[in-house]
Amino acid sequence: MAISPVYALRETGQNLWRNFLLSLATIITIGVSLWLFGGFFLFNYAVDNATQRWEGGIEFVVWMNPEATAEQNANILDAINTSPEIRDFTFVDQDEAYEEFKDIFADTPELVEVVTPEVMPPSYRVVPVDPDADVVEELANQFQGRPGVKTVVSANDTIRDIQDLADDVGRVFLFGSIILLAAATLLILTNIVSAIRNRGREIEIMKVVGATNWFIRIPFMLEGIVQALIGAVLAWGGLFLIDRQVIQQFSQPDSLELMAGFRVESNEFIFTSGMVLGIAILVSVIGSSIAVTRYLDA
Amino acid sequence: MIKLENVTKVYKGDHVALRDATLDIGKGEFVFLVGASGSGKSTFIRLLNREEVPEHGTIYVAGKDIGTLGSWKVPYLRRNIGYIFQDFKLLPNKTVAENVAFALEVIGKPRHVIKKQVPAILELVGLAQKMNNFPSELSGGEQQRVSIARAFVNRPLILLADEPTGNLDPQTSVGIMRLLDRINRTGTTVVMATHDRGIVDTMRRRVIELDRGLIVRDQARGVYE
Repeated sequence: MAISPVYALRETGQNLWRNFLLSLATIITIGVSLWLFGGFFLFNYAVDNATQRWEGGIEFVVWMNPEATAEQNANILDAINTSPEIRDFTFVDQDEAYEEFKDIFADTPELVEVVTPEVMPPSYRVVPVDPDADVVEELANQFQGRPGVKTVVSANDTIRDIQDLADDVGRVFLFGSIILLAAATLLILTNIVSAIRNRGREIEIMKVVGATNWFIRIPFMLEGIVQALIGAVLAWGGLFLIDRQVIQQFSQPDSLELMAGFRVESNEFIFTSGMVLGIAILVSVIGSSIAVTRYLDA
Repeated sequence: MIKLENVTKVYKGDHVALRDATLDIGKGEFVFLVGASGSGKSTFIRLLNREEVPEHGTIYVAGKDIGTLGSWKVPYLRRNIGYIFQDFKLLPNKTVAENVAFALEVIGKPRHVIKKQVPAILELVGLAQKMNNFPSELSGGEQQRVSIARAFVNRPLILLADEPTGNLDPQTSVGIMRLLDRINRTGTTVVMATHDRGIVDTMRRRVIELDRGLIVRDQARGVYE
């Protein structure tokens, strides 16, 4: 026997309205937990994208002194060329470094004005054969302190720092969102149990006149699902804001060069949104199933 | 229509509510269940509706062994059984017509059927003029008529009534009994648990008396005691 959609929607709407404050609390909790959960994924995507351009590529950069002599430069070039542990490298001369600097600081022309190509350090961007962090570290150290070398920056260190930070932040997001999702499930359950209790007489009549279990259950289950869907829409709004207001801010030209790739691709955003929706439905089905099987069929 | 074979129902704490009951109730019969409080009348009624399941014995309703029904089939059994409560159990936020329509709506009856059947049944119970009133605006007797309309609107084969006049004054009770009698004359089997001596003695129908779960009397055209 089919349940009329008009009946189901009317009953669901009435349930939600009668329990308005509890419904609101449930929706907000679901929204915030899904927002944190989705935020965790967006952040991870952004970090991956930011660090990806270093991976499989340049692992460390040997920054030369602008005043380094030709001989010192030649020595370093020779060392790089002859090292069996180095697969490839790119030399960025002062003019190129200046261009890069202008790109990075395009929004702050006053900074660009005071800098000239002559003060820019040229650099060797080195691709080692073995990208293992320890190997890269050791290799990078061989250049540290050599005549004409200003400093050696191992991109791996930076990546690891960012990844560590991202992992820590991610864990907090994930932990928080899981706790909140559990709370949201309990709230959905409480909400439906409360609706079931409020409508005890109606349910009793329905059973006596021969309404099927599914007919009785569906409006209550729909209540949980509607709450979760509204929560998911709120979470999408929040994720959109994270993407636009936080992640895209990082990748502005005037921020750190390393963060230039810190962004979320649209397919990654869509995937995250889909996952948020899926979890919303999962959480609501779990909460409402427990509620109807434990409190309705008993 | 209803057949019990050696039916025993035991509640927790070894309280025997019905003991080895065997009887037959034919189609179109009107049966009073009498006995002191706790004698097993309500249990008897609840067993017929499969709200309770017996520990021993078999219950047939309309030829079917209801003990073997899957739980998903129970609602379909109940569509053939109308149920009238002592305290009416009307939904206070629905009008008279909506209360009756509710019983059809939740078993998936189409709207045009509901629109036709509800006014007809309200006419039968004498409440056509009050179909848009809320239960709080009705007297006790009128509320019980709505409850009867709700139980009968789907034209069940059997009507179970648990103390339907228990909350009503004697004069109002007479009106309710006239209504149940009328319904019974349409061929509907009526099983009514009652404490109301006056009604039983006036109606002179079959009386089944229970005492601590035992059927101690089964008398055609009987009296209260």
